[in-house]
Amino acid sequence: MSTLDLLGQAIAFGKSKDAKAFTQRALDEAVPAGEIVDRALVPAMAAVGERFKRNEIFVPEMLIAARAMKEAMALLEPHLVAAGITPKFTAVIGTVQGDLHDIGKNLVAILWRGANFRVVDLGTNVPPARFVAAAAEHRPHLVGLSALLTTTMPAMIETVRALRTGATASVKIMIGGAPITQQFCDEIGADGYAPDAGTAAERARALVEAAP
Amino acid sequence: MSAEDIRVQWPDLPAERSLPRPPGHAGTLADRFARAGRPLNTRCGQRGLCAGCTVTLHDGRFQEHTGEVITAPAEIKACRGDVPPGASARLTVPPRSIAVHRPQVVTNFKVNVGAAHAPLLPWVPDGSDHAFAIDLGTTTVVVALVELATGRIVAEKSDLNRQVELGDDVLTRIQLAGAPAARAALREAVATRTLDPLMRAACAAAGVATSRVAGAVVAGNTTMLHLLTGTDPTSLGTAPFRATFTDHRVLTAAALGWAAVPPAATVHLLPGFSAYVGADLVAGCICTGLHHATGPTLLVDLGTNGEILLRHDGRMLATATAAGPAFEGGRMAHGTRAVAGAIAHVTFPPGQFSPRLEVIPGASGVFGLCGSAYVDFLAQARHSGLLQPAGRFDPDQWTEIPPAHRQENGNGRGIRLLAGNPETTVTEGDIAELLQAKAAVAAGIVTVLRHAGLTPADVERLYLAGGFGLHLDGPAAIACGLLPGFTPAQIEVVGNTSLGGAWLALVDRTILPEMVAVSLAAEVIELNLEPGFEDTFIDHLCLPA
Repeated sequence: MSTLDLLGQAIAFGKSKDAKAFTQRALDEAVPAGEIVDRALVPAMAAVGERFKRNEIFVPEMLIAARAMKEAMALLEPHLVAAGITPKFTAVIGTVQGDLHDIGKNLVAILWRGANFRVVDLGTNVPPARFVAAAAEHRPHLVGLSALLTTTMPAMIETVRALRTGATASVKIMIGGAPITQQFCDEIGADGYAPDAGTAAERARALVEAAP
Repeated sequence: MSAEDIRVQWPDLPAERSLPRPPGHAGTLADRFARAGRPLNTRCGQRGLCAGCTVTLHDGRFQEHTGEVITAPAEIKACRGDVPPGASARLTVPPRSIAVHRPQVVTNFKVNVGAAHAPLLPWVPDGSDHAFAIDLGTTTVVVALVELATGRIVAEKSDLNRQVELGDDVLTRIQLAGAPAARAALREAVATRTLDPLMRAACAAAGVATSRVAGAVVAGNTTMLHLLTGTDPTSLGTAPFRATFTDHRVLTAAALGWAAVPPAATVHLLPGFSAYVGADLVAGCICTGLHHATGPTLLVDLGTNGEILLRHDGRMLATATAAGPAFEGGRMAHGTRAVAGAIAHVTFPPGQFSPRLEVIPGASGVFGLCGSAYVDFLAQARHSGLLQPAGRFDPDQWTEIPPAHRQENGNGRGIRLLAGNPETTVTEGDIAELLQAKAAVAAGIVTVLRHAGLTPADVERLYLAGGFGLHLDGPAAIACGLLPGFTPAQIEVVGNTSLGGAWLALVDRTILPEMVAVSLAAEVIELNLEPGFEDTFIDHLCLPA
């Protein structure tokens, strides 16, 4: 098996240590960082997301795979920057005001990175004004809002409303989180919803590729 | 004019009844049953994972969330959709789909501190000479009737908190209670439909007239105490998660809307630490004597929120971790609370796969597992190699399992603990939920210890409290990684210390000032703001190698 195959497998099975070791080995073998991302990380995470969607793997396996990918990515990032490789799309993501949960949001951020997005992560408890400021500054193709608590869903409405006024009005908005539904997405005027992180990556690509 | 009419045949009612569509109804068929005051057994939280809310559709149509329409005759899960607006239907509810609460909750507790006999409430011999200690939980409420002259518990009763019918988790209730009308309904549910009947039943069991009740002491989480007093809990629902009150309060039964006891009866609400570390944990702290400990000591109270308290070097650190209901049987394919007929313990003897089960006596069949059995299963199946670290059944060992113990369907693979009995199945989906629950608790413990510069080995004693209380097997909790890095000698299972603390405060009036002092002394840690918490959580997801 090639180093890239081994790396893909390490990520799929969530073996962080192996993922780091094989990433380093691939770099030592002079495989360009961009190729490591495209040929090992992206397909491995896409397969994990796909299997999650089909209910073949569960949240714990998804989380450990995502972390293995994150560790591999951390090794590769300086090389990608040095090689002048920038992702095709930009996304801003954050957990809405009043909510401190970020495990789901972080998972989506990792999968979006794997789907060729530069992801600006604003963290948790992000007020609407900060989403607007970040959207104005980074000119993203997509803004992602996360809420885990039913009690913070109203903050999502506020954030969508704020983004829909002024210079950021045309930005694509995706929402997600345990209490969120497609119906809520339609009601508040967001552009997309995904029930899980695997679908979120697929939806994100579809949204930005369909944009004029 | 709508011709909509849903007729329901109940096992306990002679004739069919009509099931109304509540005003503005946009929920599931299961919601309609709950709103009509006859909730179905939606133990998986209406996620379609269990068969608890299955009803028979004789006539009419049922539309699932997915849009798929099912026509009669069919067995349908009431949580998966609703009868389309304007349509009629005829349904039968089988006995097993009705939410009943068999009061077999762990009400026993250990008290590790000495108590004087100096009751909190003044009593009149042969007059008002009894009082209640109450544990007000999100899911379960326990009342203990205490004879003030002796401090003895003369009757104990428990039931579901009837607020469950309005919203089964704390956040749903917080959100609802933002509206004054719903807040009043929640208060009525706990006062009139939960506590009043329980207090009457306990008095009747002990042969004590309700007029002889002098008062009560209530321990409970902060949200429950807000809802009990009709206080708006909205600020508990969003960061920075502030409580309107966590101090010791004294009210009257009349002010709380309790009708079962005299209006002037005195009710003490115990003090809590914060929005998510409540009076139940303060009660547990005093009950276990943790506040007097000399070496590093932990109290872990396992409920839907795992609450953790560390005493070290004169400091007290408290936190809450979102464990979810898995250890109470919630969201499991065949989970249940500790009731008659539930499997409480599982061991795998060596050799051919044939698990040995300990079932809570009092029922004719075996149905479901309670939290302690799931903890045993994780430990035993990992030890035997049947479970891989990430929670999957080992493919080679799987094929060795006798077919009557195996189940494979759309929900993945599962092990039937009792050959041929599908209601004793543990699925890979269940295991994934359990891994997240135990990782949340383990990461909470490790994070609090790290905050104090400690490791598990430094801890002198770990008190394990909560709903599965005295049933839980300490070594299994260690082996499955719920209590990571501890040894059995460090662990003491202490039961329902929330009730224990309420009882103590009632029988010894010097206890309450101690509780107040403790409640003010703790530093509360917000786990989501702790650097590295997510990494620690993921570190603890897998079963130990």
